[in-house]
Amino acid sequence: MDQNNSLPPYAQGLASPQGAMTPGIPIFSPMMPYGTGLTPQPIQNTNSLSLLEEQQRQQQQQAQQQAQQQAQQQQQQQAVAAVQQSTSQQAAPGASGQTPQLFHSQTLTTAPLPGTTPLYPSPVTPMTPITPATPASESSGIVPQLQNIVSTVNLGCKLDLKTIALRARNAEYNPKRFAAVIMRIREPRTTALIFSSGKMVCTGAKSEEQSRLAARKYARVVQKLGFPAKFLDFKIQNMVGSCDVKFPIRLEGLVLTHQQFSSYEPELFPGLIYRMIKPRIVLLIFVSGKVVLTGAKVRAEIYEAFENIYPILKGFRKTT
Amino acid sequence: KIKFFFPFSLDALPRVTCPNHPDAILVEDYRAGDMICPECGLVVGDRVIDVGSEWRTFSNDKATKDPSRVGDSQNPLLSDGDLSTMIGKGTGAASFDEFGNSKYQNRRTMSSSDRAMMNAFKEITTMADRINLPRNIVDRTNNLFKQVYEQKSLKGRANDAIASACLYIACRQEGVPRTFKEICAVSRISKKEIGRCFKLILKALETSVDLITTGDFMSRFCSNLCLPKQVQMAATHIARKAVELDLVPGRSPISVAAAAIYMASQASAEKRTQKEIGDIAGVADVTIRQSYRLIYPRAPDLFPTDFKFDTPVDKLPQL
Repeated sequence: MDQNNSLPPYAQGLASPQGAMTPGIPIFSPMMPYGTGLTPQPIQNTNSLSLLEEQQRQQQQQAQQQAQQQAQQQQQQQAVAAVQQSTSQQAAPGASGQTPQLFHSQTLTTAPLPGTTPLYPSPVTPMTPITPATPASESSGIVPQLQNIVSTVNLGCKLDLKTIALRARNAEYNPKRFAAVIMRIREPRTTALIFSSGKMVCTGAKSEEQSRLAARKYARVVQKLGFPAKFLDFKIQNMVGSCDVKFPIRLEGLVLTHQQFSSYEPELFPGLIYRMIKPRIVLLIFVSGKVVLTGAKVRAEIYEAFENIYPILKGFRKTT
Repeated sequence: KIKFFFPFSLDALPRVTCPNHPDAILVEDYRAGDMICPECGLVVGDRVIDVGSEWRTFSNDKATKDPSRVGDSQNPLLSDGDLSTMIGKGTGAASFDEFGNSKYQNRRTMSSSDRAMMNAFKEITTMADRINLPRNIVDRTNNLFKQVYEQKSLKGRANDAIASACLYIACRQEGVPRTFKEICAVSRISKKEIGRCFKLILKALETSVDLITTGDFMSRFCSNLCLPKQVQMAATHIARKAVELDLVPGRSPISVAAAAIYMASQASAEKRTQKEIGDIAGVADVTIRQSYRLIYPRAPDLFPTDFKFDTPVDKLPQL
């Protein structure tokens, strides 16, 4: 990667003797943009590197070389896995058309490959068959759970909100307060905002598939009311995930070392707001160890962001 | 009247130098308005214009015209220079038009480009005056506002909100932070908006501020409650120890400080109720109660060793 030669000047004195490095933990290698797993700038930019962090970086660098060898083996395995899973997808009755590039997001119904140990519990399992076991910073073993998905879709025709509100069940419409119909369905439990232009926002789903399914159901409702509804440009706009690192965190230390990315104002909000650059995710980190990740467009971003932040949080674990 | 020396050149214009000693720094003799070379005594420049304030004093209040020959003091750091011409009040018949109003009205639009900025400076001074902030904080606030204003990245926001946020940042930077609620009390802007502008300004100016600690507010809160020095010191000690022992994880430092003041005052002769402390600190009394419950179990460890208890530790109120 081209990152290898470009160390910011002030970090050069702190880099390990082997030279520039990207302390990456390639976890989700199928998705090339994210699979390289560049650790966010924070670790390189810390002005007060603790010995622990420097050790971590050196170990990660060694681990990276090992991981590259493993990655080649994995790619062969993944090719086999992709073929296996695509056949199982055709068997599963999907209510919505498949979006091929998001195939990693669907629930895995196949058994894992023999020889690969699924580290994460199914049904919500990321695509990688195996996580490269790096010596010092082994994967956290914690998977962020998705809590909310916001998606938009264009129904492709102008709508009369008044008739929709009058004839549909579970619809509310208060034009003085908000210019859209708010409709809710029970399965999947979601809420939709339907605008007169024909555009719709669907919120509250817990997975990408559920969001798409729910949006299709809303489109069906609108269609049954007599409008020529289509299903154009379904796009997931935001994904929110949360998890627990199971140890208390020293937020004051974190804001001191990662000043450029963190904002911690106890008067305004009890959590630390960490804006990660790559991937572009906002994390809310609390003293109890709970972490909320938001701003992702794909599931892998949430996972990658959490894997990036986990070693940093471990460094700020409260010792008492 | 203040006169001062300019021992060194501040601008890039070619300054006069002594022909024999070009490196010598000229000394200004104010009595005659001369610039004298200290090495050889040569008078290099003479009749230098004095930029001090008006030195004539007038006791004649009845005079309608203002005999002052100079205008306001320049504020070059803030406004873009204050060089503008003012038209004096007219004398004679020609200067009045048919209705009796004077033609050529004075002060039409002086420094129109910075009208909003001057307005904001006035607002900042008013706000700071309400909570008796010293001049250095006001100057720092003005500088911050000027930087933000010139950057134009927060142009859409209300100037008052930006000014309040700059005041908050200036207090933090000077090491004497004021709580958001205290700034709210002297400003018309809501705490939410000040908080938003605060974060935006930090991002725009690419600065950061130190984290607030419990000790920053002790002297102010205790003085407002008229608590003696021993109680203040005890409260500071209690709050610091509570944070060190991590008895109050995730609590705002203001709430911890308020609870510590409550504990210290209840152990002394000068007792204060939770409501009074909540009023001063801007904290709800249930919040003080919550934080107090967290520090109460370790109360004997939190007090300083040389504290004189009016009410012993085991008789402290338990809520």
